[in-house]
Amino acid sequence: MEQLYKRPKCIQPMQSGYCPGCLHSLATRITAEVVEELEQQNNCILVLPVGCSTMGLLYWKIDMVGSAHGRAPAVATGVKRCSKNSLVFTYQGDGDLAAIGLAEILSAANRGENYTVLFANNSIYGMTGGQMAPTTLEGQKSTTTQKGRDPLTTGYPMRMCELIATLDAPKYVARFSLHDPANVRKAKAGIKKAFETQLAGGGFTFVELMINCPTNWGLTPLDSLTYMVENTIPVFPLGVYKDVEV
Amino acid sequence: MKNTLLVGGSGGQGVMSVGTMLAESAAENGKYATFMPVYGPEQRGGSARCTVIISDDEIMSPLPKKVKTLIAMNEQSYKKFINELEEGGILVMNSSRVTSTVAREDIRIVSLPADDIALETGNIRNANIVMIGAYLASTGAMDPAEFMKSLEHKFKNKPEVIEQNRKALDKGAEIGKQTS
Amino acid sequence: MGKILMKGCEAIAEAAVLGGCRFYAGYPITPQNELPEYMSVRLPEVGGDFVQGESEVASINMVYGAATVGTRAMTSSSSPGIALKSEGISYLSGANLPALIVNVSRGGPGLGTIQPAQSDYLQATKAMGHGGFRMIVFAPYSLQEAVDLTYNAFDYAERDRNPVLILIDGALGSIKELVELPPMKELPTEQAKWQLGNPTGEKRVARMLTSIYPEAGLETLNRTKGEMAVAWGENDVMVEEFLLDDAEYVVVAYGIAARVAKEAITGLREKGVKIGMIRPITLFPFPKGSFRKLDYGKVKAFIDIEMTVPAQMRDDIALEVLDRAPIYEYGRSGGVLLDDDGVLEAIEKVLEGEA
Repeated sequence: MEQLYKRPKCIQPMQSGYCPGCLHSLATRITAEVVEELEQQNNCILVLPVGCSTMGLLYWKIDMVGSAHGRAPAVATGVKRCSKNSLVFTYQGDGDLAAIGLAEILSAANRGENYTVLFANNSIYGMTGGQMAPTTLEGQKSTTTQKGRDPLTTGYPMRMCELIATLDAPKYVARFSLHDPANVRKAKAGIKKAFETQLAGGGFTFVELMINCPTNWGLTPLDSLTYMVENTIPVFPLGVYKDVEV
Repeated sequence: MKNTLLVGGSGGQGVMSVGTMLAESAAENGKYATFMPVYGPEQRGGSARCTVIISDDEIMSPLPKKVKTLIAMNEQSYKKFINELEEGGILVMNSSRVTSTVAREDIRIVSLPADDIALETGNIRNANIVMIGAYLASTGAMDPAEFMKSLEHKFKNKPEVIEQNRKALDKGAEIGKQTS
Repeated sequence: MGKILMKGCEAIAEAAVLGGCRFYAGYPITPQNELPEYMSVRLPEVGGDFVQGESEVASINMVYGAATVGTRAMTSSSSPGIALKSEGISYLSGANLPALIVNVSRGGPGLGTIQPAQSDYLQATKAMGHGGFRMIVFAPYSLQEAVDLTYNAFDYAERDRNPVLILIDGALGSIKELVELPPMKELPTEQAKWQLGNPTGEKRVARMLTSIYPEAGLETLNRTKGEMAVAWGENDVMVEEFLLDDAEYVVVAYGIAARVAKEAITGLREKGVKIGMIRPITLFPFPKGSFRKLDYGKVKAFIDIEMTVPAQMRDDIALEVLDRAPIYEYGRSGGVLLDDDGVLEAIEKVLEGEA
């Protein structure tokens, strides 16, 4: 019988510690598949930040460096500048990338650093227990916006693809969602395109992956996917924001 | 022998460049030298000062409280730094710009209209070189001819600059020698 | 190669390149801007990379990234900027990564002044960042010494897999004096054993560099780092003991302050005063041995001279001297420089029993 589905070899043979229904696992998996399809498992360096995504340190079987909160794009800058033939990518959450690390992500994008940023957006600080993120929706409840996010005092959801697409240097900027199989396939193709652009020496590539946080949203995994379709994705429209031929 | 020199003037008068050239030239001629600028937030037009030490022996402290020679390129720096000149020291003063009457009687004064001389010798911007000529000749810190060699090397592709500098330096040295 | 006149920051930058530095990231701050400016020109000439970071925080993390792939990497800044880098320096130590940090210090606290000061001794030697790690701190007092120490700094950093700090003040950063530059060091041909990335595609176990240690690993790291710091005290102390043999008065000073003090001491010796100096070249490890071997029957007093107020090295001196002799201190601060006369007068006061 033909085996159609198997664990990517660059992922540890273990159960994920992500919460049940969390799409971080799926994001990790499709990224690993792309790494293998491009035969880069021996030639890549993953820069991990602080947040739920730090747990990638436990799951991946590729060269990895753990960085300080928000600083993965700066670390990746040093890595890639000094290891120009490696496939270098970061995998950052929304608190890490869009709050504490805002200067680093925008500056790296503006310099056109030749690496890929994968941005997992679930509108909340997961690891620290569900506080408001820059990406939290208006009215969405979190442990620091218990009556729902009030834009008058806490601002509006910050859209990173749109921000980064205004810069001249980035070559590929796109937002995908992992809430259903069709979109997962699109996301995987997007990651692949970003990696290929990098390997061709093209420049900065940015792929945002909309994911969920059933635990901190207080929803079942299935309901969290419905919530994404009904609430999150309308605020963060999917699509390719920038695609420059390289 | 150790000579401590403070050069003071306004930004644009070539204070830093002449201090550096002096230190470089001393070094090229086998002496020890330190050049200490005072940096500040003003990039242009503010006051500029540097301290240059030329010595036959290794230089320990680069931070003398008082110096043996003060080159005052303008009125403001004269007023600001005259009390940093030690007793018996030499004031080399650009009389084209210093208008005060010198009150101190415990110092030797070499006064020369460096701006006017520089203009006569081809370029007003060489007033700093005129002053260096007077300084070297009056203090014996270094032979002006050795300094000239360094200038020749520095501007080796600009013969007209070398000639202007030579005239400026010679004229300054001439006046400096008279008062040494 | 003969001696040439160089500016402090530029001499350090060149020495770092000659010592193998191939990556620099930094953010503008006075008084050390000549260092990144020099690097922006020099590093591309030797196949290296220069990045002007968006902040000090970003810059130190770029250095961290460069270090993971085995590149000799450095950053520089001045006091407030070093404070911003301190988190990243802690991460470097925590992840066992080498790097060179240069602090061209200025007066503080706060924005302080852009003028020179030696006000970062405690930060440099006790807690360069959170978490209780230590680092070797070199404090040269001449540009030649700065060149020599910088040139070899990566050897220490790589031996220990720990960042190394060079601490000078803004005056030494700006001064121009004669230096003799060493030859370009050969870069290691073998990959560093921690090096990420796999340019040859060899089959090996994936590597991970991080400063997060679940459970017992961190305590092991803490112990190892602690033992390493003890070993520095045994093997890596650098100190100049100046005219100590018969000294009744012992000046303790480092960096620019030691130069001014040395001038005063030389003058006093000519007058027959039995005075000498302990000049720590490594501020950490502190040269405890120099204090232990003194004849306390002879030593009448110590004079701690620093370009900061109050003196910061005094506690380290006191730990060795205990109550065997009084310790006096003299300093200037806030961007006011020490000068020959002031230092001489301060020492004479002690000699005359008026301090």
